[in-house]
Amino acid sequence: MEPILPPADATGPAAPADFEVALVSLNQWQLAWRRFRRHKLAIFGSVLFLTMVAIAIFGPFILPYDPLAEPTPILHCVGTNILANTGCPPFNDGHILGTAGGTQEDLLTLVVNGARISLAIGIGAATFATVLGAIVGGVSGYFGGWVDTILMRIVDVLLSLPLLFVVIVFAKVFGYGDWKVILVVFAILGWPSIARLVRSLFLTLRTEVFVDAARAVGVSDLRIIFRHILPNAMSPIIVVTTLSIAGFIVEEAFISYIGFGVNSLYNPTWGNILSNAQDDIIVGNWWWPLFPGLAIVLTVLGINFMGDGLRDALDPRSRE
Amino acid sequence: MIKYVIRRFIQAIPVLFLITVACFALMHAQGNPADRFAQNPKITQAQIAAFEHRWGLNDPLPLQYCKWLGICGDKPFLLNALPAGLGGGDNGILHGDLGYSIFDGRLVTDVIAQRALPTLILCTTAYVIWVTVAILAGVYAAVKRYSLFDSGLTIFNYVGYSLPTFWLGIMLITFFAVPPLRWFPASGMNDVYTTPAFGTSDYWAFFGSNPFFAIFDLGRHLVLPVLTLVTVSIAGDSRFVRSSMLDSLNQDYVKTARAKGVPERRVILRHALRNALLPVITNVGLEIPFLFSGAIVTETIFAWPGMGRQFIESVGHTDYPVLMGILLIASVAVVFANLLADILYAVVDPRVKYD
Amino acid sequence: MTRMTPTAGTSGEPSASGAVSDGLLLDVRGLRTYFHVMDGTVKAVDGVDFSIPRGGTVGLVGESGCGKSVTAHTIMRLIDIPPGEIAGGEVWFDGRDLLKLSANEMRHVRGGEIAMIFQEPMTSLNPVFTIGDQISEAVLLHNDVNKKEAANRAIEALREVGVSAPERRVRQYPHELSGGMRQRAMIAMALSCNPKLVIADEPTTALDVTIQAQILELIKALQARTGTALLLITHDLAVVAETVQTIAVMYAGRIVETGTVDQVLLAPQHPYTQGLLSSIPGVKKRGKALSVIRGVVPNPFRMPPACKFQPRCPYAWDICSMKEPELLPARTGAMSRCYLHSPEGASRLAAFESAVAATMEGVGG
Repeated sequence: MEPILPPADATGPAAPADFEVALVSLNQWQLAWRRFRRHKLAIFGSVLFLTMVAIAIFGPFILPYDPLAEPTPILHCVGTNILANTGCPPFNDGHILGTAGGTQEDLLTLVVNGARISLAIGIGAATFATVLGAIVGGVSGYFGGWVDTILMRIVDVLLSLPLLFVVIVFAKVFGYGDWKVILVVFAILGWPSIARLVRSLFLTLRTEVFVDAARAVGVSDLRIIFRHILPNAMSPIIVVTTLSIAGFIVEEAFISYIGFGVNSLYNPTWGNILSNAQDDIIVGNWWWPLFPGLAIVLTVLGINFMGDGLRDALDPRSRE
Repeated sequence: MIKYVIRRFIQAIPVLFLITVACFALMHAQGNPADRFAQNPKITQAQIAAFEHRWGLNDPLPLQYCKWLGICGDKPFLLNALPAGLGGGDNGILHGDLGYSIFDGRLVTDVIAQRALPTLILCTTAYVIWVTVAILAGVYAAVKRYSLFDSGLTIFNYVGYSLPTFWLGIMLITFFAVPPLRWFPASGMNDVYTTPAFGTSDYWAFFGSNPFFAIFDLGRHLVLPVLTLVTVSIAGDSRFVRSSMLDSLNQDYVKTARAKGVPERRVILRHALRNALLPVITNVGLEIPFLFSGAIVTETIFAWPGMGRQFIESVGHTDYPVLMGILLIASVAVVFANLLADILYAVVDPRVKYD
Repeated sequence: MTRMTPTAGTSGEPSASGAVSDGLLLDVRGLRTYFHVMDGTVKAVDGVDFSIPRGGTVGLVGESGCGKSVTAHTIMRLIDIPPGEIAGGEVWFDGRDLLKLSANEMRHVRGGEIAMIFQEPMTSLNPVFTIGDQISEAVLLHNDVNKKEAANRAIEALREVGVSAPERRVRQYPHELSGGMRQRAMIAMALSCNPKLVIADEPTTALDVTIQAQILELIKALQARTGTALLLITHDLAVVAETVQTIAVMYAGRIVETGTVDQVLLAPQHPYTQGLLSSIPGVKKRGKALSVIRGVVPNPFRMPPACKFQPRCPYAWDICSMKEPELLPARTGAMSRCYLHSPEGASRLAAFESAVAATMEGVGG
């Protein structure tokens, strides 16, 4: 039997151009970028975060006050009766954010300089923790068996300890107030949760057919882990890493605030600025603790928006 | 079901054991407590040696660990592990002895006991408020999606989640506890001028005679710390509850319920909420460790005389018996909280298999 | 637009619009359901008319996305109102226009007078309640009985659908049952309140082939026994062939052909239906290329302006791109939304009909 043919005088189907669905092929990342761009909040967050980074990098160069020079102490804030050694309020004598007490440094300069270390620790710790966690989690999830059991027991124990307790101890003992060491401490203590995530990702991905296919062709285990499975696991990992930057920034701030973190003599961080501000709150100095904190809040807010946007953009199954 | 619970308990034991190892290792990583005296010219070498001998600091580490645990001690090996009444020793964790504080010589258990109640009061109040508000807010926002409340909650979620807890506490003090608005006290658990110190027998006597005033005073002091503790958690959790509820409302079985003619209110509260609460239970259980971390932060800022604050002070003194004790208790509490969350989940979700 | 009147089974006289004719349990007129989404408005259902007599059975057939599920959901008013919108039409059920009822009144109709069976029995049953609970709930809502009586009725309902040991099953959870059993439970739940109409939305699509046959048999038997009307929605022509008396074929949100089972399946009157039938593999086509309907389903945001099938239709000519055809009566008595059945198409009709004959030969009759 012949296939059905249209009658000879039919004009046939109309030109497909308007009525067919236009299909343009995009790869995974381009699709994600498109989705990300649609999220106004995510764009706003990214801009916020990148602005902070820009301030951290370039800020110190454009500030009017030299951070290394010690300001000459004055007795009263210009034009007021307020004692200057507890800090002068914003907009007094050209200090947009006011001055800190004690050394009477310009607060804006302090905050901008503090951005450098705080952000460096946040981003650095997040990156290292992710790399460490991904390696451990990947190996554990891929090989399974006793390797997995041992590694995960370790992770379980580490996660059972309320992390802050441990971080405090480590930071004080090994930190010596040096921000680089503190960064390493954070990374070493932060990898377990990433490891757990990566492990569960690998556990599910390992059972996917493309892994069997790769093995059948003779690809080595290591190559499978890094070239086949890992790219598929990237999306949630990226999201978690981004969001963890915020966590580390806040962690550093708190550790420095209670005095076990970065030593303020050498480097200001948002946390140790807050630490120094603590005593003068009671006399009404509200700007000294407010602005470093606002800097933290804005940075973290930006990161959260950005991370949420990334999550929605990279996960094809997410709702809304 | 019982078998499941027992099995989970047994599974927790190796973790607990490893936790003790980890605690011990961590604390001893801080170095020899006798080093504090190294710079002090008034303390002789002999005194340092006596100090080290008294605290057993000369023993090899495994032995120190074993003694701390309570397995090794005065009695012959392993016999020591038995309860004192049966001829065992009376040292170590297994016998309820956490050692003595290097800082002031008191029993660690005494130090912790004195600080436990304030922390318990703070954390329990905070936890109850946080979970209740998060669930109510999340459910309401999910049901009235796109409403003003929902948008407001979303903004609150984002902003609140981005606030560092300790900074929130500082800001609350700065604006509410300091002139001009002296609405709430800035620190402590009780008013120093009118009540005795918390926890002392004087205090309980006072409590007995003026209960309402004491409770009101305590409540007043609780407001800012609890607010600090719960805000960030509510911000995060209510979002989670909301999305879980939205997920549940989108499920097919909700459509079936509506197709059966079930009233909308019942669809939401009975059909959707039951399912939505399942992941929330797990989540809420897993957040208990954050309660402890939050307690450290809050107690430090508000000078609340609890275990968290004690921990910070002891870190400063390198008082590791106390530190180990607190860390141990906190970790064990976390393990049990996780266990409880698992069990609760298994009870509530019929799909969980018990074998 | 003329309404379909089945030529077999009980029938009613078409009456003036605004009132339901006796004998017709369900009368859908000019139903329109739109969805307003970010990229535009999707007219999922755009002018659907069909009716079901009391105790009658109708199959609503079409491929994914043609709007058949949305039609069913609209009848039950289960559409989420934003982003959905019931943009027009009337749904006359037993003397009342369902679209005009209050939410509370509609709630009483659902489950009690019209029941619905869904496609995925696993996700359609609440995993945290026993199936006994779920069935009893339906009974309690629509009948004035106490809990014990409702529980007994649940057991009876399960027995009627062929579930063995119903007393035990009643206390089990959905995940403890097999797929076929779950679907039986859903059917039991639907029938437990003796509804006048049962809407089955792809009831067998998620099941194994062997179970499919059992479930269809069950539905047929129950329908015959209780005299409930049935609206069976499916994309599978084989399913309707055995189970219903009349078929309505949907494409792009509209009904394009209606008729009895014999008329539609043995003598299709619309090029789309003919295309569907000819693409069924058959023994007689062994060794030859399968025929397909060329083109793709239209983009909902850019629908063809006149006849929706025209871009893919082998028989289309200029009138087809000018104005959308109405449902026109074909020579067999079926209705077809195609100009081939208009005076202008008479000359082309012969070619179509010989093509249909060839198709039927290939299908194996």
